[in-house]
Order: sequence, then structure tokens, then C-alpha cells
Amino acid sequence: MALIMARGLGKSYGSTRAVHDLSFEVHPGSVTGFLGPNGSGKSTTMRLMLGLDRGEGVTTFDGLTFAQLDRPMRHVGALLEAKPFHPTRRARNHLRMLAAPNRIPDRRVDEVLEMVGLTSVSSGKPGKFSLGMGQRLGIACALLGDPHTLILDEPSNGLDPQGITWLRTLLKHLASEGRSVLVSSHLLQEMAVLADELVVIGRGRMLSNGPVADFLTGSGLATVEVRTPDAALLAPALAALEATFTEVDGVLVVKHATAEQIGDAAQVAGVRLHQLVTRQATLEEAFLAATGMSEEFRGAQAEGGQA
Amino acid sequence: MIDALRYEFVRLRTIRSTYWLVGLAVTFQLIMSMLIAWRMSVAADPPSGDNAFDILATIGASTGLAPLFIAYIIGLVGVFSMGHEYRHGMIRATLTALPSRGTVFAAKVVSTAIVSALAALGCIAIALAGQLIFGLDLPSGSELTNLTGGTVIFAVLFSLSGLAYAALTRNQTAAVALLMLVPTVVEQIIKAIILAIKSTSDDPRGTGGLVQILKYLPYDAGGQMYTRASIEDLLSFLGVAPFGPVGGGLVMAVFVGALLGGSYTLFIRRDA
Repeated sequence: MALIMARGLGKSYGSTRAVHDLSFEVHPGSVTGFLGPNGSGKSTTMRLMLGLDRGEGVTTFDGLTFAQLDRPMRHVGALLEAKPFHPTRRARNHLRMLAAPNRIPDRRVDEVLEMVGLTSVSSGKPGKFSLGMGQRLGIACALLGDPHTLILDEPSNGLDPQGITWLRTLLKHLASEGRSVLVSSHLLQEMAVLADELVVIGRGRMLSNGPVADFLTGSGLATVEVRTPDAALLAPALAALEATFTEVDGVLVVKHATAEQIGDAAQVAGVRLHQLVTRQATLEEAFLAATGMSEEFRGAQAEGGQA
Repeated sequence: MIDALRYEFVRLRTIRSTYWLVGLAVTFQLIMSMLIAWRMSVAADPPSGDNAFDILATIGASTGLAPLFIAYIIGLVGVFSMGHEYRHGMIRATLTALPSRGTVFAAKVVSTAIVSALAALGCIAIALAGQLIFGLDLPSGSELTNLTGGTVIFAVLFSLSGLAYAALTRNQTAAVALLMLVPTVVEQIIKAIILAIKSTSDDPRGTGGLVQILKYLPYDAGGQMYTRASIEDLLSFLGVAPFGPVGGGLVMAVFVGALLGGSYTLFIRRDA
């Protein structure tokens, strides 16, 4: 099983710096989510990793660059764009064509078609496929060589809810077999339940890299909800902790202090607590906080309630 | 390289355009050569075996009055070889299956050359069949070899120039336009301009000067490989002295080689 190691990835288009010195690792047995706003350089980074774009840095798969891999589809499966196929070449033939140079038998072609649910349309022309079906064919291409590493750019695009669930189950299963999975997505709720680790970039720069829990904790957006009949007594204790709080529907929402700190302070102050709940930041909240100043393309904000 | 060739031949076998392009060339050749052979067979003075073969194999292009039509059809095999990669976003899928760009490019050149040569040979075989079916004299061994070689080499070089145009422009439509327009329009415009300048010069019948450029118009020069009597002969009074089949073939080969070299360099350097 392969460790993906990206070092110093960089790419410029003229005077525009699209990717700036990105280094990260994707570990076997994990799903690593690759997040960033539109235009942040995710797709460019993935292409750099596979040597498709010319730029700086190097990416190795267990010590070898993609170009050094013998029969690379047996090592790394990639989905980089929607519908990368000739519209009139039948789906099965498309897979057979990619399989041929990698010495992958036709039996495996039929297996992956079955795996992605396209067996019934294997002799169909992809030009008539829906976006979701095209995406399933792209996923079949990535899985063709039974690779130990998967690099998938927005694989859930166009999939219906059942398809998204299927994809989540599939990727988790593949990771559980010890494979390394790097997947970009704009579906943050989906990523929250799928990813073990995150690489978050903005304007081509690294914003965060590590376990999802660390990203959420590090966002500083976690709160503790406190229900107490002695709010007035608790306030000075919270101030002593340098915590801030707001009151919402009779519940104190406390920032910058842990539940343990608040509980101990309440005991010392003789405050009765009826409820003490830590509320972790959602991935969406943490992502928006992390990338707030890194959006490449920003729409006009509604002002005064009017769009 | 073997793996890349496997990819290319599965690619060619699994796409309709390969069949309709080769089929169109063969069908055109079949209909035209049979019609012409029949007409020759009922003529009061049938042509010699060599002349009949020249006309039937090239459908009149050997006279220098018409282009080698089958080359224009077969040439699209070369354009599509690289053009489909960009038109349908296949290039990234191709390079994730075969990361060595040099090997991918070389395999496309080899497969295009083989398919083009086989299609051209098939067309020539049809011409010979026409001669046999309608009882015309057969060509001499030397003419059979020379014209077959010239026609096949021209068709192969023509297709490879199409491949190079597609790799240079990364645009299939532009490549088709270049392949059709450079030989039939661009070269003719250059020829007309040079001849106009030459005819108004102080030495309109001299063989030196600007008129020498005409020998190096690549498709025109390559045409010498299958041309037996040319309209160029009529221009000899203006000092136009084209290369023969070997020289003309070399000019075209150097031009196509330069196109392929340039497109290969860009293919290696550019983002996929």
C-alpha cells in the first residue's frame, strides 16, 4: 500500500501563481479530503501530482513518481474530469482501451462495470450518458487496475443521493483495505463523514493539513452550551477564564473555554449546572472560517436583506 | 512502446471514424477505378498497362490535374489520432494510462503510418483488380513498384502532417482545416504570387531567383512521387523545374519531419 508524498508542488500561469509550494502526505488506509474554494488550485495540484501539468515539485507513490510506475493504472487510479471519453466509443470499449497498455484482462473490465452499476449500459455510447453515469464510468476507469492509490477530483459531481451514498461506502471500503484515497469535493457534509484527514488550500496555499478533528478543533469555533439557573453567578467565573458567552433562549453559548474548565469553575463558584454540552464546529463552519479570505471568485453579498 | 501500440490499436479498432474513413477511401476508389477501367476497356485505343495503372491507382492525380483524393480522406486518420485526444478531453486519461509522452506520440505516429499505408495499399489493389476485371494490360513491375511506393509514401506523410497539425493546434477543427487548406489553397496562392512576380520580372524564363521556392512547396513537391505528367511541365517556360519523385518526396518528408518534431516538442512541454 502506497504512501503519497507531495513535496513543493507549484504552478504558475503567466504571472498568476496557481499553486504555491504545497507539501502533504496521504496515508494508506485513510481517505484524505482535498478542500478549497473554486479556483484554489485543487485540480491543478492533482494534475501536477500525476505529471499531467508541468510545474514545480515532485509527488511520489511509495517512492516512485507517476512516470516511473510500471503499468501505472495498476498502482494509481485517477478521475480528473467529468466525461473524459469519446462520445461514440462504447463504455466497455473505452475501458478495454485503457486496460490494454496496462495488461488488465477484459474480465476486470466487466468487474468494474458491475462495481459501478453500468453493466446494463456497457455497450452504450457515453455521449448519451447522464453526468452521473459518466462519472460512474470515470470511477470505473480509476478502479480498473485495482490500484492501491486513488486520486479523485470531484467524483460525486452529478451523482444522485443514492450514488453519493454508494460512493462513500465504496471509498471507505477501499480505504479500509489499506488503500490511499485522495478525494476533492465541494460537498462538505459528505466530506465530514467520509474523510479521515484533510488538505485544505486557498489561493494555491496550504491552509490546513491533518486529521479532520484537528481541523475542527483548530478552527476555534467550538462552543460549550451551558444551561444554569445561576447565570449571573457564572458570568464572573467565565470572565476569569477569559471566555466569552452569549445567551440564546436561556442557554449560555460559551467560546474559548472547554466544558471541563467551565464545570470546574462552576463548582468553585457554587453554580448549579443543568446542562453542559460541547458543540464542535461543523466542517462547513471551519472550512468557511479557514478559507474566508482565500476565495478566488466571490459573489456580491446581499446587503440589508436585499440581494 | 508495445503497450502504447496496444492502446493505439484498440483505440483505432473501437471507434467508428476509423471504419468510415477507410471505408470511404476504399469505396471512392472502388467506384471510380471500376468506372474508369470500364471506360478504358471500351475505348478504341486502350491505354498501356502503365498508363492505365497510373490513372486508376491515383484516380487521375497522376496527371497532375487533380489532388490525390484518397490521401485527403486517409489523412483524417492522422488528424483524429491526436485531435480526438483534445476534442473529447481524452488526453489526460491517455496519459494516466501511459505516462510516457514520447511513447504515446511515437505510437500515434506508427499506428497512423500503418493504417494509412494499409488503406492506400488497399486502394491500389482495387485499381489493379479493375485492370484485371476489365481485361486491361497490367503495369510493368517497375511502374507498379514506383507508383505504389510513391502513392503510399505520400498518403502516409500526408496523414502524419495531419497528426502534427492536431498536436500543434490541440484543436481538431483547426487541424482538419490546415490539412485541407495548406495543400490546396495556401500552396496554390504562394505559387500564383511567385509566378506573377516572376512573369513580370526582367528574366521571366530564367530558372533562378524566387521561382526556386516553388520546388520546396512540400505537398506540391511530394506530389511528384505519384505524378507522371504534370501541369507544372507547362510552367517550365517560367523556369519552374520541380524535383523528381525522390527529391520531391524528400522535401515533403523533411517538411513533415519538421512538423512532427515541433509538435512532439510542444507535446512534451505543454500541460496535458
